[in-house]
Amino acid sequence: MSSSPISKQVAGSQAIPIRRVLLSDVADLPASYSSTPGGTLFSTTPGGTRIVYEKGFLMNLRNSPSSKTPPSYDIPDALVKGFGSSAEKKYDNGFQRPRQKKQGLPPRRNSQSQRRIEEYHDDQFQIEL
Amino acid sequence: MDYSIKHPLQNCWTLWYYENDRSLLWAQNQKEIASFQTVEDFWSLYNHIKPASELRQGSDYSLFKKGIKPMWEDEANRRGGRWLLSLDRKQRGELDRFWLDIILCLIGEAFEHSEEVCGAVVNIRQKGDKIGVWTADAGNGPAVLEIGRKLKERLRIPPRTVLGYQVHKDTIEKTGSVSKYSYTV
Repeated sequence: MSSSPISKQVAGSQAIPIRRVLLSDVADLPASYSSTPGGTLFSTTPGGTRIVYEKGFLMNLRNSPSSKTPPSYDIPDALVKGFGSSAEKKYDNGFQRPRQKKQGLPPRRNSQSQRRIEEYHDDQFQIEL
Repeated sequence: MDYSIKHPLQNCWTLWYYENDRSLLWAQNQKEIASFQTVEDFWSLYNHIKPASELRQGSDYSLFKKGIKPMWEDEANRRGGRWLLSLDRKQRGELDRFWLDIILCLIGEAFEHSEEVCGAVVNIRQKGDKIGVWTADAGNGPAVLEIGRKLKERLRIPPRTVLGYQVHKDTIEKTGSVSKYSYTV
């Protein structure tokens, strides 16, 4: 008696090919959440396709109007920017008014931390062993 | 750029905040802040909260896929581990850049094996800050290593600096103050 021929025909495994789609314009994004850039339908593509964003693309959206809009939900006081630095008025939506820094300098990007990055550049990187 | 639409993310992500209140149990100190699934909703949150470097000592931020709690005990984490970045106190200035770069890797799905990524945690500590990127299966060597290499590249960590991966189980059971690395890149 020979064993079933089927058992001898185990297919080798194959990696699912990955296709990267670079978006140059927002208009390239599909309108539907169920499909991904490049036009494949997530639910029916083997392994699914993935919505991948490069860092530069994400950073470009940082200052868009909706990115600058404060969230509608409450944030704990301890996490609100500027909280705890001095006596400040609290607003009914749970947010602090952004502190006005002198002379129109952009707030909170202090030059000190920038300087520190230059001072302790990559050579100083340490890892716990 | 067209600002009229929001850009969907592959996953919905939840930001957690841990506050070191000794009168509460550890798990009670983990507070769920918000979940988002578009790029704009992420920035709306990030732009309006303190950067990690301004949190009080003993606090954490955690960003995990929605449904995964930022703790070892969660079903999605219990067989996993973390790539660990231990920062010297002098590197406080770089903490925010590392943390943001890691968040962008997570939500932008930068890894080939991003389905293995559970989330990331930044610990603000007096003795040195730490950032961990948590993955689901410590036994999945190829995925763990790919994620580690990509992290090292994206964070611009110099090649001779070694990045280590700790299995959560080893960290829990550790006897000394330091637990061993199962992978390094």
